[in-house]
Amino acid sequence: MERINITKNTIGQMRIVEVILASFVIVFALSFTNIFAITPTSPKYEVTELQKLGYNTLHDLDEQGLLARFVYNHEWENLTSALRVLLPLDVYFNVTIYDLQGTKVNNVPIFYGDREAFATSKNVASINYGLVGYPTRLSATYTPRILIIQLVRG
Amino acid sequence: MVNAVYDHMIAILIIGVIFVSAVVILPTMSFTNIQAVNQQQLRNTALNVFNAMLLDTGEPIDWGSQRPFYMNDPRVNRFGLASAQDTTFYVLDPDKVQRLVVGNPLNYCDYNRVRDLLGLKDYGFRLRIIPPFNVTFKSISVASNVLNYEADVHYLDGTPIPNAEIYATAVYTKTKGNNLIFNVSQSGPFKSNSLGKCIGTVPLEVTDPDYYTVTLKVTVADVATLVVTSGQEFNNTIARINLVYDTIVLTSWKDPPDYNVPPNDAIWILDVVAFGSKGKLWHLLDKDKKGSSDFNSGSGNFERWNQTFSGLHGFQPVILIFNFWAVDQVTGHGRSQVLIVTAYPNLLGTNIFEYGGDPKSSDSVKIQRSVIISGMTYTAELWLWKEST
Repeated sequence: MERINITKNTIGQMRIVEVILASFVIVFALSFTNIFAITPTSPKYEVTELQKLGYNTLHDLDEQGLLARFVYNHEWENLTSALRVLLPLDVYFNVTIYDLQGTKVNNVPIFYGDREAFATSKNVASINYGLVGYPTRLSATYTPRILIIQLVRG
Repeated sequence: MVNAVYDHMIAILIIGVIFVSAVVILPTMSFTNIQAVNQQQLRNTALNVFNAMLLDTGEPIDWGSQRPFYMNDPRVNRFGLASAQDTTFYVLDPDKVQRLVVGNPLNYCDYNRVRDLLGLKDYGFRLRIIPPFNVTFKSISVASNVLNYEADVHYLDGTPIPNAEIYATAVYTKTKGNNLIFNVSQSGPFKSNSLGKCIGTVPLEVTDPDYYTVTLKVTVADVATLVVTSGQEFNNTIARINLVYDTIVLTSWKDPPDYNVPPNDAIWILDVVAFGSKGKLWHLLDKDKKGSSDFNSGSGNFERWNQTFSGLHGFQPVILIFNFWAVDQVTGHGRSQVLIVTAYPNLLGTNIFEYGGDPKSSDSVKIQRSVIISGMTYTAELWLWKEST
């Protein structure tokens, strides 16, 4: 008689186990989908914004004929100053210039901001900008330079 | 049988707890997603609004240069600050920007009107125009026939800017009996040192002038220029200087003006000089104090005087210098030559121009872009937020 009662009782216990398992499945599923949710602090938006800002700034300098002058005449201090006045105050930058062989051209850092911000921030934008040469009145040589500018918000 | 009932009751209880938890947790989780989507939509809207402001000329295309311009002028059908004369992107018309200066005596468009024109009924916005760097006058003095000045040039975070190029223009007057001397002298370039300090001199053609003012044109890395002016401090009650396209308009300082009482001050305009963003000077007017004063000949009650100088808009003036024959503002005794200097548009210089509502810190987005006004580079910043949330 007792054995029959135990068997009947396990049906109810199994319902509880089923409910708990089902709830775990739901909670895990929701948690899993939330990982893919794009939140407002997502690096995707911030990086895009910084990329636009960086590209526009370099393009503006290039249009005025100043970017090529700074790069080919090695006016690193002027390039740093120009970027500092054109970029918003809270945007830090780090510029590296390479030739076609991948050799770094700028021997002094073209940098503004906190190095820690570049190391710790998840939202670092990187923009590649190409210059084909620096035409002067008498000559125009094909000596491409590749500018890589990294931007981060401080 | 009884135990099974208990088990079912516990199961129902657990389901209830899970249901309640789900009701609480699920909206929170989806709220984050909704917030993210809203944020992105807001960012897209901000980008469209910013482009409309900076790339569109508006309708009519010269709406900022219209005279007379009424308060929240109904003739403005579409809003945009871009210059109609310049084909380059992000070049703003100073006349249009001037129409956003609240308190402009020649009228302006207020925040609600601009919001309506931009179709932003459910949104709030704030436009800021920030100078690229700062210039501060530390001292100005005249010793015999030399004007000495000291200025600091620094980035917006306060760090000094070395090697900034500075040109100085001194404008000064001296009255010797009936001989009225008005002169302009220039010097430069001087460079700021590693501490951002620039000490310069301007040789003058007279000794110990009565009035003097110095205007500095400061350029950093050939890319950004600021024009700042300083001189003797006095309370200017003679006139406010305004510019609409090619026309200079002087308006009353009385606010509101007393329309029934004609102004009784006899003031002569002796000289008008415009200082352009490229550092050039244009002596627009050179008169004497013979004959009757034409100071109060302006149309309308607010306007005291106006004159059109063809080509002035294209000259891109950033500083206007007036030499009046008027009662000395400092001593209050007798008439003498009085210099009044004004920046155009009023927002230019080292101030941050702000227009619009107060941004909600949590739910607002910010977009920035460098723009050119009167040949000088500034950073334009737009904050946008939803009003109804």
